[in-house]
Amino acid sequence: MTRQQAEQKLESTFGFRQFHDNQWTVIDKLLQGKRVLLIEKTGFGKSLCYQFPATQFEGVTIVFSPLIALMRDQVQKMQELGVPANFISSQHTEQENDQTIHDALNGKLKILYIHPARMENVKWLETVRDRDFKIAMVVVDEAHCISTWGHDFIPSYRKIITLVNLLPLNFPVLATTATATQRVEDDIATQIGKNIVSIRGNLLRANLNLFVITVQSEDEKMVWLAQNLEKIQGAGVIYTGTRVNTEIYAKWFEYLKIRAVHYNASIDTETKKEIEQGLMKNEYKCVVSTNALGMGIDKPDIRFVVHTQIPVSPIHYYQEIGRAGRDGKPSFIILFYNPNQDKTLPLSFIEGGRPETKKYQKVIDTVKSERLGLHGIVKATNLKKNQVNVILADLIAQGIVVETIEGNRKKYEFKFGAPELDTQSFETLRKAKLNEFDEMLNYWETRDCRMKFLCDFLGDVLPSNCGLCDNCRKRKVQVEATKECNDKLADFLENYFPILEVEKKNTNLADGVAASYYGVSNVGKALHRSKYEKGGDFPDWLLRMTLKAFHSHFGKEKFDVVLYVPPTESGDLVKNFAEKIAKALDFKLSHNLKKSRTTSSQKIIQSGILKKDNLKDAFALEDPNEIDGKSVLLIDDIFDSGATVKEIGKYLSKLGATKIAPLIIAKTVGGDL
Amino acid sequence: MTQLSEVPYWITLANLPKWGTEKINRLVVKIVHDNRMALEAFFQSEDEWKDKFSLSDAEISDLQNAKSELPNHAFLAEDMLSQGFEVVPINSPEYSKTLKANLKLKAPTLLYVKGNKQILQENSIAIVGSRDADEISLQFADHVAQKASQQYKVVVSGFAKGVDKQALDSAILHKGQSIIVLPQGIMTFGSGIKRYYKEITHGDVLVVSTFHPKAAWSAGLAMARNPIIYALASEIFVAQSSESGGTWAGVIDGFRKGRTIFVRKPNPDENNANLLLIAKGAKAVDFEGNIIEDANVAENTEKPVEAAEKNGMDEVLSLLEKQILTPKQILEKLSLGMTDKELAKKLKALPNIQTIKKSNKIHYFIKQDSPTLFAME
Repeated sequence: MTRQQAEQKLESTFGFRQFHDNQWTVIDKLLQGKRVLLIEKTGFGKSLCYQFPATQFEGVTIVFSPLIALMRDQVQKMQELGVPANFISSQHTEQENDQTIHDALNGKLKILYIHPARMENVKWLETVRDRDFKIAMVVVDEAHCISTWGHDFIPSYRKIITLVNLLPLNFPVLATTATATQRVEDDIATQIGKNIVSIRGNLLRANLNLFVITVQSEDEKMVWLAQNLEKIQGAGVIYTGTRVNTEIYAKWFEYLKIRAVHYNASIDTETKKEIEQGLMKNEYKCVVSTNALGMGIDKPDIRFVVHTQIPVSPIHYYQEIGRAGRDGKPSFIILFYNPNQDKTLPLSFIEGGRPETKKYQKVIDTVKSERLGLHGIVKATNLKKNQVNVILADLIAQGIVVETIEGNRKKYEFKFGAPELDTQSFETLRKAKLNEFDEMLNYWETRDCRMKFLCDFLGDVLPSNCGLCDNCRKRKVQVEATKECNDKLADFLENYFPILEVEKKNTNLADGVAASYYGVSNVGKALHRSKYEKGGDFPDWLLRMTLKAFHSHFGKEKFDVVLYVPPTESGDLVKNFAEKIAKALDFKLSHNLKKSRTTSSQKIIQSGILKKDNLKDAFALEDPNEIDGKSVLLIDDIFDSGATVKEIGKYLSKLGATKIAPLIIAKTVGGDL
Repeated sequence: MTQLSEVPYWITLANLPKWGTEKINRLVVKIVHDNRMALEAFFQSEDEWKDKFSLSDAEISDLQNAKSELPNHAFLAEDMLSQGFEVVPINSPEYSKTLKANLKLKAPTLLYVKGNKQILQENSIAIVGSRDADEISLQFADHVAQKASQQYKVVVSGFAKGVDKQALDSAILHKGQSIIVLPQGIMTFGSGIKRYYKEITHGDVLVVSTFHPKAAWSAGLAMARNPIIYALASEIFVAQSSESGGTWAGVIDGFRKGRTIFVRKPNPDENNANLLLIAKGAKAVDFEGNIIEDANVAENTEKPVEAAEKNGMDEVLSLLEKQILTPKQILEKLSLGMTDKELAKKLKALPNIQTIKKSNKIHYFIKQDSPTLFAME
């Protein structure tokens, strides 16, 4: 097919007069059954490069994409153009997915979008193997995810690589990404193999205004945002480094009457969907999020992206800021950096990214002796689920463990004749990541054009400077604190107490409150001193803070009984603390909640599943009738996974307690239940 | 190890509809041996199929159809390989030399395996017998498997009830190595892999299938698997055979192929066909599997009449090796004391008997083993 012929068809189906040159280069190669890796910035029109050939081929084009929202959007666009397309995902019902697969089998679809994780789904695989299922082309979207050198490697992409390698010669394959360094590009090309041709466009985003603001404290970031956020037009995203900070920043904006909401991986799916939709409809000035938000947001008019925490590499950064200004209109990109403390988090990610070797060995030994699922391995090794996941992904990559599918369950098997664990590759990767973080720090320090810096890093040679960044404009942005703003922030921080959300299903548990986060301020240190360094009772300022938290959350509410969680190892600290609380609030205190059997300290148990087992039926009230029909305030020092409060709440509800609310000194972040 | 990208091509070739193993293998020989080509290159050289590979138009059309299934087989191969299954094609140094020597061009084009492939290279024995074997036969299987394990010989088992399972379990108990030859596709054997997980991961058991990885168990596949068991073994021990069924048919087939077969000499009170097999040329062995030089079978043979009848069947077989005949024609040449219908029934029960319809009558024949075209080590 000539370009002219193709463009005639393009106009009749898609309504465009012509292709960009790079688009046609890609399409021409695909039509000839070649393999292409396309690296182009957001907004280039990468999708058309496969959507057009898909309409010309006989059979179904399968598109692997990790972005569900994007797939939904693309499918809708295709359907509007009259191109039969659909996608299967975990968000559909089984019947809907079955229907889609059925349509593809019967030649009723031209494009079928699939999440890579679906390669583990037996049903769709059964169908795609059917000889009547005519496959025309395979597309791998966000192809940088197949590279461990990339910034967000997705383990299920490994299966895609194998698949692509198994596809015959002269079968068209397109891999696309908006972010790939030379190293990632080489890696993708090697992995996909079979004479793949790389086509790279320039990565300059001419509408992004890049700024860096150097600060001396977290407070300064909050002050600057309070003074300036409303001055930026439109809605945007603020990325923080931790889940706690998403909440604190969002509450701070709420306090300032700025419409904001926090978003992170621990939020339930329904709420996440609502927030995503709210963002699309500009219901918020900003969404404060960890990097959990983004993969899946296709909003063309995100007007600003702010990072309160420096990312681990310029690739991460380019990817995250790339979500701004897809419509091509001016957008603002701001990075805060506090040289005194902001290195800690990225370094801990890099250094703590991989579990210790002995934990790998533990998993290998376990899998060697028994064929287990993820749960089984977590239980048998007493490792955190996240760690087991990381370890398994590495072991699968190294060919030591294989993932088998039994019904719909995954079982892990040791592979006979497997090689020894190769830790050298981990070390190489760690060093590469440290280098990339150094480059990120160079981005902060550079006095040259920032866009050029990013493009250079990504292997794109930019002929001239962007003319828009703070360095090009020679305009250094600084924080100018005012007393008024500082006072507001102080007031906010003193009165901000984390809410303890508890599972209310089948119990009379109610949300409670903590005086602080464990890691924020010096609360954690004070607790540690008392508990593990013979520091005596919890200090009185903790008592005052906790009482303040109580009043802010419960107001003047009265509780019939104060109970406290019986200790495993820290003696009478909680008991004494509960006594003081009960006295100050003038509630009745009971010492009758006891352990009915010895439990291990929850702290030493790594896995959430075992934590639950450790506590099951572990508590007893000496006089079971004592709390019938009464409300209970439950005191403890630390709230981690919430498993303890949940177990006690369940037990007390059975005994007739009408309400059980936790009052805790500190809440930790990131329990794995 | 077979190159990853070749796997879907092997699956596609091995599962060519209606071609039959021998025809497929002949093509494989032309590709990988005569022309030293990878399958991927072969499938890319469609324009040479006619001249270089002397393929007919019908064959080319079959191959073109098969080619269009390559992407589908890529999906199958990914699923299979990622779950730890492997394939061993007939030209691989990892392929069982015993199997190739015994079956020649009829050897399966592709083995689907899980476990320690090195087992395919070891000395091997098969201990076969009825599914409902007597206790004494099971004990015999146990003894022979134990002895084999002590001598580092691999026990080949068809994973059927009775003698097969006994042989496998004894080999495992005595820390020997075994091959499980499946009557089904390898990806449908989840429960067995779960059960023998430790042995597989420790390298003591290799699971082998010669069928499409997703094929469900069937009686047909179970029958088709039997010759693979015999052919994978260097030595064949019969624990117990009746006068029909898989064991009997397998041994008779083995005789025709010139294989030495060891049969347990039964006690006088046993009711089975072991003596009959010994009379027909099998080597008698004692309860420990040792050869009894002077088995003195004739005196102990309790059913001389039937033996004669069986010998009659052997005559039939040697007749059919040379000609294609209807049962009626056979009876004209040999007096067997049975009707043509009875003979037809008996013929159908035998393995490797093929039929062809000529002038509306069913003719029977045995296809000769073809000389090998493989470079055998």
